[in-house]
Amino acid sequence: MAEGIIFSIEEFATKDGPGLRTSVFFKGCPLRCQWCHNPEGLSPRPQIIKNYNLCIGCKACEEVCQHPDNCIACGDCVRVCPRNLIRISGQRIDAASLAEKVKEHADILQKTGGGVTLTGGEVLMQGEFLLECLDMLLPLHRAIETSGYGDPSLFKKVMDNTDFIFLDIKMMDADKHKAYTGVSNEKILKNAEQLKYGDTDFVVRIPLICGVNNDIENLTKTAQFLQDAKNLLYVELLPYNLAAGSKYKLLDLKYEYSFQKPGDKELENARIIFESYGIKCKIA
Amino acid sequence: MNSAIERLLDYVKSQKHRIHRRELTKEESKKYASEFQIKGMPLIERFTRRFELFMAAEKPVILPYTRIHGLRTIIEFPDIYCPGELEEIRKTHYIHEDGKVCHLAYDYKRVIHNGLASERNKAKSNLEGANEKEREFLLCVIRCIDAIEGFAKRYADELRRLGRSDEADRLFDELVYGAKTLIGAMQSFRILHFAIWVSGNYNAVIGRIDQDFYPYYLAEKAKGVSDEEIQNLVEDFLLSFNLDNDLYYSLAWGDNGQSVTLGGCTETGACAVNELTTICLEASLNIRLIDPKINLRVSSSTPLELYELGTKLTRTGLGFPQYMNDDIIIKGLERLGYETEDARNYVAGACWEPIIPAVGFDIPNIDGIPMALIVKETITNHLEQCKSMDELLQVFSKRLKIYINENAENHRNLYMEPSPISSLLMSNCIENRKDISEGTKYNNYGYHGTGFSNAVDQLAAVEAYVFGDGSISANELIAAMEDNYAKTPEMKYKLSVEAPKIGRDKKTKGIGDKILNEFAKALQGMKNERGGIYRPGTGSAMYHVWHIEGLGATADGRDADTPLAANFSPSLGIKGSGPFSVIDGFSLPSLWLTPNGGPLTLELHDTVFDSEDAITKIALLVQTFIEKGGHQLQLNAVNGEQLIDAQAHPEQYQDLIVRVWGWSGYFVELDKEYQDQIIQRTSYGI
Repeated sequence: MAEGIIFSIEEFATKDGPGLRTSVFFKGCPLRCQWCHNPEGLSPRPQIIKNYNLCIGCKACEEVCQHPDNCIACGDCVRVCPRNLIRISGQRIDAASLAEKVKEHADILQKTGGGVTLTGGEVLMQGEFLLECLDMLLPLHRAIETSGYGDPSLFKKVMDNTDFIFLDIKMMDADKHKAYTGVSNEKILKNAEQLKYGDTDFVVRIPLICGVNNDIENLTKTAQFLQDAKNLLYVELLPYNLAAGSKYKLLDLKYEYSFQKPGDKELENARIIFESYGIKCKIA
Repeated sequence: MNSAIERLLDYVKSQKHRIHRRELTKEESKKYASEFQIKGMPLIERFTRRFELFMAAEKPVILPYTRIHGLRTIIEFPDIYCPGELEEIRKTHYIHEDGKVCHLAYDYKRVIHNGLASERNKAKSNLEGANEKEREFLLCVIRCIDAIEGFAKRYADELRRLGRSDEADRLFDELVYGAKTLIGAMQSFRILHFAIWVSGNYNAVIGRIDQDFYPYYLAEKAKGVSDEEIQNLVEDFLLSFNLDNDLYYSLAWGDNGQSVTLGGCTETGACAVNELTTICLEASLNIRLIDPKINLRVSSSTPLELYELGTKLTRTGLGFPQYMNDDIIIKGLERLGYETEDARNYVAGACWEPIIPAVGFDIPNIDGIPMALIVKETITNHLEQCKSMDELLQVFSKRLKIYINENAENHRNLYMEPSPISSLLMSNCIENRKDISEGTKYNNYGYHGTGFSNAVDQLAAVEAYVFGDGSISANELIAAMEDNYAKTPEMKYKLSVEAPKIGRDKKTKGIGDKILNEFAKALQGMKNERGGIYRPGTGSAMYHVWHIEGLGATADGRDADTPLAANFSPSLGIKGSGPFSVIDGFSLPSLWLTPNGGPLTLELHDTVFDSEDAITKIALLVQTFIEKGGHQLQLNAVNGEQLIDAQAHPEQYQDLIVRVWGWSGYFVELDKEYQDQIIQRTSYGI
């Protein structure tokens, strides 16, 4: 059985599908979106997270450290912090153990028409683990949230083994996509095509970032691309959040970008574009 | 909300009504005190004289925009005791809190319906054949009735002076001869409630207004009055509880016992949810003020819509409604000897304690039993000798029983000041010619079981590491606690982070249930000196703070400075849990054995409440907790104000999760600039 790496199991995820749900966050993502608010999800390796805000500077963590120049997330510092301010983000786990953990609350999830949502990071980056999880999580309702950046044959298998998909479509222009996310959108659109003509219910999520993808041209092209998708339930616009950089410092990283949040009118105009193509559109 | 209520709300919030208040001058105070602070004068006489004088000194004020009248104008009035007198009494008596009658759910319904004249007649007719003490009591009740009537008459006169004769007649006549209209009933309630606070009795519980006012509601509907008009009236009524609440005696701001209980079942067990239940919830949602506190009685048959309405109220960030599970509480009260009809009529007391309106004078907070300390002492003194977990638990049970027996001795010879006004408003005191301070149908004491989670977590850690994998020896554990884990940070980490915790790890539920059981068992069969029994509960009130003193570090990795968990909630700072694990961990099968109550508290950031879909999901979460057998739930939407506090005191908010966009995180871990942004986004006025 393949082992995967996850960084969080979040109970009562209210935005990730129908009913009461548990979301599992896979660790590791091939994209580097400049508006990413979840830097824990980028690296596929365990990392040290330290709450500098409450640190009293006792240096117990530094004294115990045997790998000061090349952290291997061994956890020595975690165990000596007198205030429990350090933790490891990234837990290796196999599908059976993960399923067992999630199913502890199967009664709650099933009674309320909910289930589990696998998100990340990028779930497609851990294909074998993902497929095993989808299999072992049955009979729960299973959803995934993905950037769509993955091998089309894997994507097809995932589609056939899941009940619901949230797919991000950030922008239609390949060059711009590469510039803002670090990767081309070719695979993403191919997988989106599979969804459009497949049998799996899906929702398209668009993070709406001023000056990046909020132009009429991009939104119109996205709407045109999606208009004949038979199982598309709706498009959900996620306006850029000014708190996107909140978690970088915890990982000793710096958030280097700055974007504007679209205004209400802009959001409304974007919504109208999708509705004009017969696509239901929600604003998160 | 109509424009008059909007204006009234602004008026009350801007505290303009307070210009009508005054302090008594020293001379006035002295003069008044000279009439009742008299050694040798019976206390009931002093109480009554003080009440008469205070009510007579109150000046009638008709505020703009409101139709429910009654405003406190005198800030403070002298007490009935001579200097040092109460301290003398304390030498030979146990005085609970201030020694005054408090924490009652009154029989407002009866007095409002019958009218004061009828109650006076009843008192008069009971004079015949009464002995001297009974006669004194009944005469004091009559004098209290006269004082209230005099007060009402001056309000009626003032209304007439303003050309509002109809209102004047209604105010006076319905109070004296019995309420005929909904507005009259509410007006009478206001005056009676006002009188209780003037008397010095406190924590005056409001009770089941959706039931008590329902006949008047139906009469209004029959006259063609719309629900909208009725809701405006209810809003006016609810607002009245905020006029004087800053003057009320309370241990903490807002802790004044003005609790409303809605929904639930009738005395026959039928569903009691009615149109007024919804109207009251919506009215509270509209006015968004801290009084009255709303409690919602629910059960496994409560429809989701009621939870959704409750969730909308939670979203306002006021910390209510508190949910009370009838399935658990009624069964628990019956086990303790409450008659079924009474148990079905329970209301939330000042905080969460189920009390019985009209016929109950329980003291539900007689004391707190420090569960975490008793477990710690069990470990410190006996773990080395115990060969198994079962043996350790048996020792714990014995120590718990010893502690309770000793503690109960502290409350012997209870002193309670008489109160003819509270006697008027409780059932059967007039008929029995006995002051309420001497007791009534139910005279039980309630014990808070505090530090529950820390108690469970200590035992779970011992089970896992001392009796389980053997990775920690009894000696090592005891030494580490003594040293406050200063030399053993790795053990502290293991115990505080990795060890099983209630509200996160299912395997701790057995221990949690065992503790509840043992608590109930320890109190079984005990009688208090007032003829009542003892009720075990899961609340902490302020005891979780007081019980830290001298506790030191505990075996769950908690160091001496970390607070204990409040009420029936997970230990502070546990990570890796979530709402499902918490509601599962705290819906223990033995909760019905501990019906003195004490809620599970769940905090969700108010951004979680951002859509209709989210409201439904939160409602589903609450419904699930109730269906799983949870007894009480306080669900809080954490708002901007609390986040500011969290920024200033992060150590108290280590488990506060904020959810923004797709992620969630611990608020205290975020960069200050982002914390500021979140605070700005979530601060909305109340």
